[in-house]
Amino acid sequence: MIIVLLPLGHFLLAALCLAWQSGTRVLTLLSLLVDASLVGLLFSAFSQGETLAIVLGGWGRDVGIELADDRFSLVFCILALLLGGSVVAYLWKERLRPYFYMLLHLLLGSVFALLFARDLFNIYVIMELLTLTSFLLVGYERKPYQIWAGLKYLLLASLGMGMYLLGVAIIYYHTGTLNLSILTTQLIGQQNASWLLIASSLLVSGIAIKAGIFIFSLWLPAAHASATPAVSALLSGMVIKMGVVVLLRLAPVFPLSLPLEVLSAVTGLLGIIYAIYTYDLKRMLAFHTLSQIGYLILGIGIGSELEIAGSLEYAVGHGLFKGLLFLAAGAAVQATGKEDIPGLIAKRSQIPVATRVGLLIGTMGIMGLPPLAGFCGKTLLSNGTDSPVIQAILVLLSIGTVISFAKLLPLFRLERGPSSPWPKTVAYVILGLPMVLFLPLTRLFLPIEQWRESFGTIPFLESLLMVGVGLLLYRFLPKRLANLPQRIFRLEEAILVILSGFFLIYLLSVLG
Amino acid sequence: MNFINGVTIAIVLFGIGLLGLILRRDLVIKLLSLGLVNGSVILCLVSLNARPDGVPPIVRGPGGAPYVDPLPQALVLSAIVINFAILALALVFVMLLVERYHTTDSQRIEHEIEEEEGP
Amino acid sequence: MRRTSFSMVVVTALLVACFCGVLMATFGYRGAGEGGAPYIARGAVETGAANLVSAIYLNYRLYDTLLEILVFSVAVLGVRFYLAEQKGSEEEVARIPESQVIRTSADLLFPPIFLLGIYLVLFGHLSPGGGFSGGTVAGTGLLLCAVALGADVVARRFHEAALERLEWGVLLVILLFALSPIALWRLPLTDLFPRGNLGSLASGGSILIYNALIGLKVFIGTWVVVYSFIRHRGEI
Repeated sequence: MIIVLLPLGHFLLAALCLAWQSGTRVLTLLSLLVDASLVGLLFSAFSQGETLAIVLGGWGRDVGIELADDRFSLVFCILALLLGGSVVAYLWKERLRPYFYMLLHLLLGSVFALLFARDLFNIYVIMELLTLTSFLLVGYERKPYQIWAGLKYLLLASLGMGMYLLGVAIIYYHTGTLNLSILTTQLIGQQNASWLLIASSLLVSGIAIKAGIFIFSLWLPAAHASATPAVSALLSGMVIKMGVVVLLRLAPVFPLSLPLEVLSAVTGLLGIIYAIYTYDLKRMLAFHTLSQIGYLILGIGIGSELEIAGSLEYAVGHGLFKGLLFLAAGAAVQATGKEDIPGLIAKRSQIPVATRVGLLIGTMGIMGLPPLAGFCGKTLLSNGTDSPVIQAILVLLSIGTVISFAKLLPLFRLERGPSSPWPKTVAYVILGLPMVLFLPLTRLFLPIEQWRESFGTIPFLESLLMVGVGLLLYRFLPKRLANLPQRIFRLEEAILVILSGFFLIYLLSVLG
Repeated sequence: MNFINGVTIAIVLFGIGLLGLILRRDLVIKLLSLGLVNGSVILCLVSLNARPDGVPPIVRGPGGAPYVDPLPQALVLSAIVINFAILALALVFVMLLVERYHTTDSQRIEHEIEEEEGP
Repeated sequence: MRRTSFSMVVVTALLVACFCGVLMATFGYRGAGEGGAPYIARGAVETGAANLVSAIYLNYRLYDTLLEILVFSVAVLGVRFYLAEQKGSEEEVARIPESQVIRTSADLLFPPIFLLGIYLVLFGHLSPGGGFSGGTVAGTGLLLCAVALGADVVARRFHEAALERLEWGVLLVILLFALSPIALWRLPLTDLFPRGNLGSLASGGSILIYNALIGLKVFIGTWVVVYSFIRHRGEI
């Protein structure tokens, strides 16, 4: 019952925000605390082995809509609450209209709804709700470049959902059901049917546009870089993960392992190349989001227990440190008025100390320095597989991440700076503390032998080595490359790339 | 099998909508093409389980008349409302952009935004 | 940059043609089909509604409908937020020169249109219709009034802020009604109303109530969207 109360409660609150306009911030904060206790209840029930699976309305699974929870839902719930809390704290002093908080509640409600969804059409409607609310949040300040980025986002996401719905139509025609649990059992023997391959390619292409995979989500750099920092944190930290969660739900049912693995490599490497040669801070962070999604998709594609746990940990960790980085970057840009990294370095004495510490912790996390969040996820991912190709890709990605973040290092010299307003510091603490304490927290996810084996001294040294290699390479890499193709981020070319990506996925699922 | 049925027409319309979305530069035509794409998916869903002797799924009395599948029609109701919402909001944004830049040409708007933002 | 380059046209046409071709080849469509057996077999008896489509989207898959109403509300919210602030260049909404033909035909047509909307909403569980179509019909009937009388005349009858609160109030009522079975310790979104006789107006459980609420919401929403565009543009 709780799992339907969480989303509907937030939708109720969105409607209530209009009634009690002066107290929206307090209302939102209280609602987050109530949610935290509800999620805690769910968690305690889950750790005792009870999984909830209800069909709304009390009907059978084949006619009604099923909701179920599992550990991914619960962990992402916690991430959503942390991000929501930090965003509310960050924006405490700003004068925002109730419209913003209504959108925030709708966003949180749809995130919760998606985490428990187990039905193909339900996922479609919730994704559309997510698209619309995040699109409205991107264009909130009404600057022209935000509106254009939001419009591109809406057009591409809507096209993607159209493809997804076409895939749903094909699946319904051949199987007669939309429920993922029933589909899992029904499709076991038919994994090579031509209609199944085309339907799964359509489904994945549609979701990939929202999930932050490089070839498909070409709207992402523009949208995340131009939105206000709190909105960027929410989008990069949470909304993108929802696409990944849907892929997680689809992966056991459809023949998707080879396409997802190849896509993860492509998005990881392309994202990192663009990130290394971008000097605008927020745009670089957006390219990083594209690249880090590669880690998540890789784990889902391989599909083994340890790999999926690694993806899950990395997803949570990434949500935390990407959120922290965006919030801190926004504060830094606001303090200095400069958006590009050389300008920020030049004016670093104007950046508040707490912001710089936040950026530092975020950078350490994303580089994979132990024992922070990034290290845990990356280690699990590389330990769960023996294939040398995948290990090589993971190493390349880590080194590339370090190289691209190395340009931020001059920002962190110890200097006096102005003090930060307390709401922002609270926001950084909400995100930074779980990140720093991540290693002990992963004990909750894994059985203890795996934990000790994964996080022994060798992985520690390996990650330190990779960080060192990355920093060294940064010294010797050319600072400016010949122009990377920027035309693919335009609307028309983006659609062409999406179509080619669809064919790529189809070919890979036929081959795999 | 009758080759001209709802599903094949829907796929053709999807392709035409895609062509319009990519090749036409006017923003309003892009929106119309998006509407066409979404509409074609709706057509595909509705005509999925159509049967030549079908009867609308309104139960008048006991006894099995050959009712058409009601589920895609219910799904399509949601899809239509969602398409309306998308088109309305996209149109609002297009209006805001057109008022700012006095042109509906998407490439010119993109060019001007890139120039404004600076390299 | 001026014209779409020839290479792009060729590449696009090729990709789109391949896309459509692959879809048609692998869809596996065999012409006629049968489906929806669980709904057809048990739908009327279990839900009490003669219209099986209404039974599905207001009973079996009510959650999807709730989310879709939220999508609609978000659309109305967004349209109002972005277009409310920026007035068009004229303060007064220009009128179409009022011709006798329009005025008379609007006088004749508006009552039947509104009645049709109410009929569609109320009989949604017995014949094709429902809250969405009924609300849209009534909303566009109001648009007809706006064309005939002038949009500002019609808008003056509705107080702007009250309309907004009414709209979100209806959403609140819908959500609370959907959550109400919790009070009786049942799952939310369960239909606890009596099913009634199949085919009569008082049948179908709570489908009638949902239809009425949704019809009201869509009616207000359609009018708000249309009026926001009219007011922003300065003319119909």
